[in-house]
Amino acid sequence: MNKKSKQFQLSRRDFGKLTGAAAAGLSLNMIPGFARTAFAVETADQIIPGKSASMIIHNAKLGVMETPLVLLRKYAHTPKEILFCRFHFPHEGDAAWYASLQPPKREDWVLEIDGLVQRPRQVKLTDIEKMPQVKRVSVIQCAGNGRSFYAAEQKVGGGQWKNGGMGNVEWEGVPLRQFLADQKVVPAASVRWLTAEGWDQPATPEGSDFSKSYHIEDGALDNAILALKLNGEPIPAAHGGPLRLIIPGYYGNMNVKMLTKLLYMDEQAPSVFQSLGYRMPLRPVKPGQFKANDYTIENSRPTYAHVIKSVIFSPLPEDKPGSGPVQITGVAFNDGTAPITSVQVSADGGKTWQEAAIKPAESPWAWYHWQVDAKLVSGANTLISRATDALGRSQPLDGLTRWNPRGFEWNGADRVFLTV
Amino acid sequence: MRVGFVWLLTALAIAFSALDAGAADRIELPQGPNRDLVYSRCRTCHDLQSVVDSAGITDDDWQALIENMRQYGLRIPADEQKKIVQYLVTYLGPGGPKAAPPSQASAQTTADGKAVFARQCSACHQAEGTGLAKTFPPLASNPDLFIDRLFPVYVVLNGLEGQLAIKGDHYNGVMPPFDYLSNAELAAVLAYVRSAWGNDKLRPAGFVDVDAAAVGKARQKPMKPKEVHAYRAAHL
Repeated sequence: MNKKSKQFQLSRRDFGKLTGAAAAGLSLNMIPGFARTAFAVETADQIIPGKSASMIIHNAKLGVMETPLVLLRKYAHTPKEILFCRFHFPHEGDAAWYASLQPPKREDWVLEIDGLVQRPRQVKLTDIEKMPQVKRVSVIQCAGNGRSFYAAEQKVGGGQWKNGGMGNVEWEGVPLRQFLADQKVVPAASVRWLTAEGWDQPATPEGSDFSKSYHIEDGALDNAILALKLNGEPIPAAHGGPLRLIIPGYYGNMNVKMLTKLLYMDEQAPSVFQSLGYRMPLRPVKPGQFKANDYTIENSRPTYAHVIKSVIFSPLPEDKPGSGPVQITGVAFNDGTAPITSVQVSADGGKTWQEAAIKPAESPWAWYHWQVDAKLVSGANTLISRATDALGRSQPLDGLTRWNPRGFEWNGADRVFLTV
Repeated sequence: MRVGFVWLLTALAIAFSALDAGAADRIELPQGPNRDLVYSRCRTCHDLQSVVDSAGITDDDWQALIENMRQYGLRIPADEQKKIVQYLVTYLGPGGPKAAPPSQASAQTTADGKAVFARQCSACHQAEGTGLAKTFPPLASNPDLFIDRLFPVYVVLNGLEGQLAIKGDHYNGVMPPFDYLSNAELAAVLAYVRSAWGNDKLRPAGFVDVDAAAVGKARQKPMKPKEVHAYRAAHL
């Protein structure tokens, strides 16, 4: 977003560029204080076979990676090879099977429906596959997408995501509400929450398992599916196959991967991933005022629905545009509860604005493409985009007003800095 | 912040300087007291990229971040946790290192194997080498120690990944590499483990412990943790 926030955004590819220069002049053994200690840097295809080697890695041990925008903008539906990825536990040992872009062969997979119910059920994956299915084109986005931009206020720990922790994907699966009704489990009257849990397990026995809870009456669940396919193919293991809960319009963490359990509960899951991680303070906070472990169920909320957002896809600095006429393009999306009605674009750092032409989206939860003709001048140019929806919800011009100590839900008006 | 950036570039450039052929793409944290604890404790779930990514956050935030990790499963003694935080705020805080790296490389020629074990290995393998059922294999009375003279050397240098059956119990975890320890430290800790807790009774007649030079030689040919697993299978 500004110079400050860019400083720590070194990718592995940047490291690679540094390597040559450093190797030419220095040998590690010549530097006092540096033991012969180093750790290999893996590219995405080495971490999850089949992933593009161009992905930006945030954590190789967990397979956390984002998509460079120059790749993301090429496709209407984001291919699995470049779709961002985020796991919470190392995919090693027993968990090695899900570091793969292949669909898992898990004919034995069973989904349990349990909790405060009269009749717990176990439903076989092979039976779910035979049920009627629907498609949901939907943006899937990491709640931490854009975290690095908060550094302009104060850097927050964790993966320093730019804008590439998102994709526009066609999911296909069994509608959740109908599925649950058909099971006739008969929840207790006290049930207020539905909890989803996946196959993955924490790295140590003391770690909190990952699960997510939703209000049982949450309208977003009306559109949710038990997804079996991603872009027309069985869901790759790395993206949550063989079965993933997809709640269109909800942040990635809410779409539980490798789904094994749906639990009817009277309270939210005690998982730290529900009660402490992936939350937003209810009130605006400043650095130092509210810290990363100050979150409680009362003073914060889970990162459920996408806040409205737009991202500029072109021109990017990588395009090295010249001065003169230019078409500015990008995407915009929200939680799907109201259409995007306006994308305002400035090519001069906010002095003048134009309305972009918006193409209709494939679904309420898919991203909208927009474009506008503008001019670049010699020297520094700041492009800005800002989306608004039919409910009047818009992006803050200064995204730092939503600074939070865990760096979630960045949706500041997007800025691209170009020197022409 | 600018200073911090330059520092980070410099540190990483140094980290990337030639180790040996083909080892160009590597990350290293700045040298400093207790860096080894970050390497051995944090890398169960994080690669060093993710540690470097957070460089520049405030002291309070490092403190909170590590405290938070307890809830995600970090289990280390309070004094170790304090040392890790101390390292992180000193060397990865805002504005770069607050202390210069130690003037001498830690290339000791002698090392205390028992002390190295207590600091580097006991968190998983336990103080008496008993391991943890189903999670971390025992080292006490573990016949793997003597299936081959170099196998344990390869394990500590490169890590180990894959199914293991040790005296009827099954393990399927991952051990990270400990290649940040010096050759002397690794030789000492292996000699200690191969003698402690009655392991000396497993020793084949005439078995001689590996020395630092042998560790140094093994270091020249890096293996993947899965390759170490295959090496074991071939020597069972």
